[in-house]
Formats: sequence, structure tokens, C-alpha cells
Amino acid sequence: MRISRTWSTVLFLPFLICFLLFLVIPLAFGIYISFHQWSIFAGNGGFVGFDNYISILTPGTVFGDAFYNGLKNTLIFVAISVIPLVLISLALALLVNSIPKKFKVFYRTVFFISYAVSVTAVSAIFKWLFTGNGGYVNNVLNNFGIGSFNWLNDQPLAWIAILIATVWWTIGFNMILFINALDEVDENLYEAASLDGAGAWQQFRHITFPSIKGVFVFLTIITVIASFNLYGQTLLITAGGPGQSTQSLIMVIQQMVFSQNNLGIASAMAMAMGTVMVAIVAAQYFYSFRKQ
Amino acid sequence: MKKSKSKNFLILLLATLLALLFLLPLIFMVLTSFKALGEAMSTSSLLPKTWTLENYKSIFGITADVPVLRWLLNTAIVTAIGTLLVVFVDVLAAYSIARLNLPGKRFFFVVVVAALTVPTIVTLFPMFYLFRQFNLIDTYAPLILVYSANTMGVFLIYSFLRGFPKDLEEAAIIDGALLWQVLRFVIFPAIRPVVATLSVLTFLTIYNDFLWPSVVTSADEMKTVTVGVANLVQGSNFVNPGRMMAATVVATLPALILFVAANRYFVRSVISSGIK
Amino acid sequence: MKKMLLAVVLISVMILAACGGGADSETADGKTKITFINGFTGGDGDFMKKITDGFNESQDQYVVEESQEKDHYTKFKTGNYDLVVIHTDMLETFKQDGMIKDISSALETAEISMDDFHPAAQEYVTFDDGVFAVPLDIHPLTMFYNKKLASEPPATYEDLMALSKKLNGDDPNLFATGIPSAGLAEWFIMTIAAQNNIDLVEDDHMNLAQEELADALMIYHDMVFKDKISPPGLGLDGEFQAFMKQVEEGNSAVQTATSLTGPWYYAAVKEAYGEDLGIASIPQLGDQKGVYGAGHTLALPSSVNDEDKMAGIAEFLKYMYQPENLANWAESGQAPTHIPTMELVEGDVEKYPLSAQNIQQFDSFVGAPKLYQYREQVRYLVENVYPQIISEEGMTKEKLMGELEKATEQSKQVAETAPQ
Repeated sequence: MRISRTWSTVLFLPFLICFLLFLVIPLAFGIYISFHQWSIFAGNGGFVGFDNYISILTPGTVFGDAFYNGLKNTLIFVAISVIPLVLISLALALLVNSIPKKFKVFYRTVFFISYAVSVTAVSAIFKWLFTGNGGYVNNVLNNFGIGSFNWLNDQPLAWIAILIATVWWTIGFNMILFINALDEVDENLYEAASLDGAGAWQQFRHITFPSIKGVFVFLTIITVIASFNLYGQTLLITAGGPGQSTQSLIMVIQQMVFSQNNLGIASAMAMAMGTVMVAIVAAQYFYSFRKQ
Repeated sequence: MKKSKSKNFLILLLATLLALLFLLPLIFMVLTSFKALGEAMSTSSLLPKTWTLENYKSIFGITADVPVLRWLLNTAIVTAIGTLLVVFVDVLAAYSIARLNLPGKRFFFVVVVAALTVPTIVTLFPMFYLFRQFNLIDTYAPLILVYSANTMGVFLIYSFLRGFPKDLEEAAIIDGALLWQVLRFVIFPAIRPVVATLSVLTFLTIYNDFLWPSVVTSADEMKTVTVGVANLVQGSNFVNPGRMMAATVVATLPALILFVAANRYFVRSVISSGIK
Repeated sequence: MKKMLLAVVLISVMILAACGGGADSETADGKTKITFINGFTGGDGDFMKKITDGFNESQDQYVVEESQEKDHYTKFKTGNYDLVVIHTDMLETFKQDGMIKDISSALETAEISMDDFHPAAQEYVTFDDGVFAVPLDIHPLTMFYNKKLASEPPATYEDLMALSKKLNGDDPNLFATGIPSAGLAEWFIMTIAAQNNIDLVEDDHMNLAQEELADALMIYHDMVFKDKISPPGLGLDGEFQAFMKQVEEGNSAVQTATSLTGPWYYAAVKEAYGEDLGIASIPQLGDQKGVYGAGHTLALPSSVNDEDKMAGIAEFLKYMYQPENLANWAESGQAPTHIPTMELVEGDVEKYPLSAQNIQQFDSFVGAPKLYQYREQVRYLVENVYPQIISEEGMTKEKLMGELEKATEQSKQVAETAPQ
């Protein structure tokens, strides 16, 4: 290619500047804070070395317990949510893609619009739907002869409610990107394959999936990260309950920042959380692209 | 390849059933916006027993005390420029990683992905302190600029460019095209659907963001619509669900309109399909 | 073309970056500006705005600029304000962190004395080294009752039992009252502690590992599982929801005749029940009368030094604490603790039904302990231990004591984060 290194650097530069200014520098500052006693009001309260990290990693202490509880709950949610979020959105994308052209736009919009609603409204809606005492879902279940469930006050029902709310809310995001990816697949390949006698599943496995693999891996990683960042739904639908069992790690960190005023501990927790995420994402990435 | 009519019908049927299921929460949202306080807070039926426009009136009637128009202007400016900035910066960067001879390419790419794992709460207060240091609190700068550091867009466009054959670009270069021409006439049209998607997603991110704008603005005139309306609608101890749903309906409309308007860009442009 | 676009973006960003709100301490016409921040969003805010607007119009030396923010504590910590509303249970924390200072001199100038306030209110703003806030109001746990189901408000545990038996007989889904496992958990805990006269404070932390407390908390357990006074399974806001439901809706809805809940639900319950709504003091479930709740106060940030501003703040307070002005706040349903205003409110029950009723609970009111980061100290108790009592039938006193010890340990650790 005749495009020079200079040009490629120039193209990358605007992003690099923004990245440095608004991510790297604040992040470095955040790491710096994590080694200090730091309150929002009073600022720097003195260097404490690794004390913050030791506090949060020691079980049996108030910070350690909060951290581990938050981490555990978040990992549970990541484990139960990623597969549905990715596979259901893929299925929806495949479905929408095969809808005759003139109706496509309508269905694509319907499945996407939930993503435009704010998390506060989504939580209010699903809290109403799943409320134990005469909530809509329970009423419907009663009408069908199945009993009612105490969705928001019992586990694992609470997680199921949160999961359904999250899937409804964010599936549009994944679906849209899958649709974009599916659009890029050359239709002629499908024709050739069906002439050769390949069925739908084989077409998917050998034509569709390899073509969208890049986006598939991308979305899986993005979904894992999004699930790690669980916050609004558990705050507003279950308030971290029942018994602190849906208290996500971000919720704990937010409490440390806004309620306990302890930026040092909060930053340490966030850095620890980031480390766990990097490990998981890296594993995902290498596993997916090793095959290439 | 034309599908059989019955196959089409089945697909449509399934899609319609799913769509109805999907719309249920939204239907509830709209219906609740017509409920009065007592009903909104407790009833388990979908339909309001008494319909009322009180919630909408209270939202639109606030223009007297509260600078709603200014909020709308702020939001329009912030989302428009913020989205433009992000898309512009991300497309160029993704292209340079995917195609061009960027020195240290692999390293940058790894950093880009790792950056996604940084929880935003870590950088929230540091960024607040930095902006405050430069006296940029209560200005548009923090509201517009911070989203440009997000690497998801770069990662996304890169993922699409990777799977893209280089034929057209190479043909164009052989024909003597300059870099910017390649970008404008070959690449950009080809990735138009992804760029359109990224624009919509970025718009929604900026539009619905609450925490950062509320931390970074204190003057009433500098608030965004999301922050301003949330303060009005959410009480200190409880929320009037009817009012909140009315506010949400109104707030979701621009996003809906934008998405429908952007729909034509989701279609692959003709040029890219001319590879064969 | 790309370069031009980039240039346009950068330039417009820079231009717009310069635009923004102003922050001067004087308005255009030379009046001294006083910035006042509170968390009164939603409906309450309008009533405080009336007071602020009234003050601004009544004189032309000072202008109070009121900010009503959902997250006003964060704004207060990161911004520069001259007057702030602080909840009663946060005062100790803000005082120890050095964020507020003694307000006595402003009160003197405003001709407001501590004796103008109900003793319960005096208690939580007075510290060893001064007065650190002016009491605004108290909002205690309130009982709403449905006159159709309970002609008289139940006043004792026995009343509740009798009421529940009768209602249960009519319909198995009818109960006397609802005990939630989340939401107002802290208020329920502290109320029963007050009613059984338990002192929960030891030095700088909560001493929760007391048998008396375990016994007191088990009262709620009995109400749900033994005496069937409350339906099981009520969660966040469950006590309010159950009060609002109607059993005729069929299916599984449970309904309660009364609700022990926050007074802020008044507008909703009034709309649902109209003339059938009654308001009363909460019943005596323990050894004596007692009620817990929260309250608002006005505090002076420690950054305020300007003499002019101090004078302005004193003027504002003087205006606000005229009974006819403060009564605006009572109209929002809050119960002011300022004695002259209380008298005005109690004299017009028609106009201030909720406020007048809750004023009657002041005499048995017990506020939050003055502890550093009190809310965090009780977090484990409130979010983890208490739900177990309400939700698990098999909860025993022994198990509870174990959890209470853990809660005490956590409370101690939070207390240790206090500035030395």
C-alpha cells in the first residue's frame, strides 16, 4: 500500500488525543487516588500505600465483605446474562433479516426502541410487572392456574426478574449490530450453497457464522463488560436485595463514593474490578482469535 | 432466492408475536402516563381506570419556572456535536489500525480493548477535578468531550473493516486516488450502515447519560433535558410513576424519530455491492 | 473536507466551552446572592420555592438562589453553597468532616432561639461545641388507615391482633397492617428500639448485639408468622402497596387495613381513599410509645465567611421562621418543629391534616443516633439482617443474635473511618 506511516499516524491522532486526555490521564489520577486516603470534600488525606487494596481484599472487614459480595453478585449476573443476551439477539437478528423487505423496518424498530428508554423508566416498568403482591406477571400466572411468585424478594427469582429486564432493555443494541453484520454477507454465497443442497443450519454454520464472527466476538466482549457494569436495574428494581444478594459491584463502589465519601477505597475497588474484567476479556479474546 | 409464501407467513407470525411481547412494557409505559397518582402507584391492571392528561400538563406546564427550552438547546448541541466528534474520531482511528501501517498497531489495539474494561466511576471524579481546575465546570466542554475517549466505536468499526476485502481500495489507489478520496468515496459509503448504527448508539448514550452531566453542571441553564426533567419528576422520597412515564414518553420520542430517520442509512450503499 | 470538518468541530467546541453559567456573588443589580441547595425535587420543591420567592420579593438587599437537586449532597460537597439542607441523621457526619459550622450567630441575628423549637428537634442540632443547624421539620413513621376496614385506628398490639382476626375472617387476603422487608426497614428497626427503650449507642458505634434488641425485632417476626397480623413476603414499599391494593381485584393481591409508612405517600393514599382515609399515630407495639423518622435541617457550610452573606442568611432565616411563611412548608405535608408554626398548624387541621397529625407524634419521637456515617454503620443490619427476620419463618433469636454481633462489628469498622 502506498499510504505512508505518517498519514496513518495523522488519522489516528485525533482519537489518540481524546483518549489520552479523557481516559488515560483521569485513569492515572484515579489510580493515584487509590493509593491515598481521599474524600470528595476534603481531597487528599495522605498517602496510604496499599492499605486500601488490603482493606477491600480482606474478607471479614466491612470493605472486604462489601467488595466480595458485590463481586460475587456481579459474576453471577455475568454468568447468567451473557449467553442469553448474545444468542437471543442473534436469533432476533436472523429473524428480522429474513422478514420480507417492506416489513423489515417496522420490526427492526420495535425490537430496538427499548434501548432508547432510560434505565430509570425500565426499572420502574419491570418493578411494576414483577411486584409480588398482585403484580401484572403474577396476575397473568394466576389466570393460567400457576401460582404467584415473590419475584423481587426471593432468589433466584430476583435474578430472573433482573435478567428479563436487562434482556428487554439492551437486546436492541446487540441485535442492531448483528443485523449490520448479517447485511454484509454476500447473498450469492447462500444461493450457491442451497444449489449444492445445504440446509438452513449448514448454511448458517458454514457461511453466516464465519462471516459475522468478528462482530460476534466483539459483541460477546461488549456484553460481558456491560453485564459487569450492572447498576441501575439492581438499584431501582430490587435495591440490592433480597438481603444484599443483588448488590452489584458498581453499586458498592457508588456507595463508597457518594455515601461513604471514600474515593480511595472506591478507586481501589474499581481498579480491582477492572483487573478481573481484563483477565476475563483477555481470555475471551485469545480463545476466539486463536482459531484464526 | 424467493422464499415460499407460507415460509414468509410463518416468519411474520413469529415476529409479530415476539413484537407484541416486546411492546408490552412500552404499552404499559404509555398507559401509565395517563394514570393519576394513586392509580399509577399501585394498580396492577394495564389500563387506567380514569384517564388523565395531568402528567403531560405538568411536564409541559413547567416552562414558566424552569428553562426547559434552554435544556433542549443544551441537549441538542451536546448530542449533535458529541456524536459527530465521536464518529469522526473513531472512523479515522479504526481505519488507521485496520488498514494502514500504523506503528505499534498491535499494542494500540490491545490498549483500545483493555480501555473498555475501565469502569467509568474510576475516571468520574478525576475528570471532574480536571475540568474544575481549568474552570470548565458549567460549560459545554465536559458535556461534549468526554465521550470521545470511549473506544467501543473504534473497536466496532475495526471489527467491520477487518472482514472487508481490500479490492476496491486497492483499485482506487491504483487509479491514483488520494487518501482522503479513498476514505470519502470508498470506505465511508461501504461502512455507512455501521457508522449510522454507531451514531445512533452514541447519540443514545449521550442523551440518556445522567450521572456525569449532573456532576458537571450546577447552574440550571446548563442542564441537559435528562438531568433537568429527572430532578423535576423524581421526588426526594418517591417518584410519581405517571409523571415519570410521561416524561419518558416525551424523552424517547426524539430517539425514536432519529432512529426511523436513520433507517435508510442502514441499507448498504450501492457502491460497496459493486465489488463483483 | 475532513480537515475542515475537524476544524469546525474544534472551533465550535472552544467557543461553546466558553459559554456557560455565571457564578458571581452579586447579581447584576448589586444584591448579595445567597446560594441555597436542597434535595426537594418533585412536589415538595414548590412549597420551599414559595418561601424563597416570598423572601426575594419582600426585600431588595439579598437574593436567594435555590437549587433543587436529586443528588444534592454530592453537589454540596463539590460546589460552593451558602446554605444547605441536611437530614438529621447526617449532621454528625458532616460536622465531623468539617463541612458545616456553628450557626448560633446567624440565629442570634435572626432572633431565633433554640427554645422556639420542640425538644426533640433541639436534641439533634445541639452538640457539645455549639448549634450546628436549624431544625426545619420531622417526618416520622406515619399510620394511614382505611376507615372502611378499620373504623378506629388500632393503638396497641392487641388492637392489631383483634383487627387482623376479624379481617382474616372476612377474607384470607385481608390483614391489619404490613411489615416490609426492605425500604423503610431502618425506620421499623429504630421505632421498635425506641418503643422498648433500648439504647443502641456505645461510644462511637452501634451496639446491636443486645438481647433486648433481638427480642424487640422478633416482635415483627411474630407479627408476620405467629400472629398473622401482617402478610408475609412484603418487600420494597410493600407496606404501601398492600394498603393500596383492593382484594376484589381477585387473584393473589393482599390488602391491609392500615399502613405504617412514610408521610410522603399522603397524596397517593388521599387520592385513592378520599374521605375514607384516616391518619393516626403509629400503634404501640412494644413497652411504651415511640416513633422514629427522619427530619430536615438547615445548615451553614463552613466555607461561608463573608459578613454580607451571613447577614443575608440571617435575614432569610428570620423570614422563613415567621409562622405564616413556614406554614407553606407544612402545606407540603412536612411537620415543622418550630413551636409558633406548630401552633398555627394545629389550629387549622383542615388545611394541614398530615402535618397536624404528625406534630402529635413529636413527644414520643426518637431521632437517629449522633454517629459518624450512621447510615453506613447500620447498612448491614438494615439490608441483610432485618430482611431475614421478616422473610424467614425459621429465624430464631439465637441466629439473630449471631447476625447482630456481625452487624455490630461492621458498625465499629465504619466508625473507625472517622477523621481523628
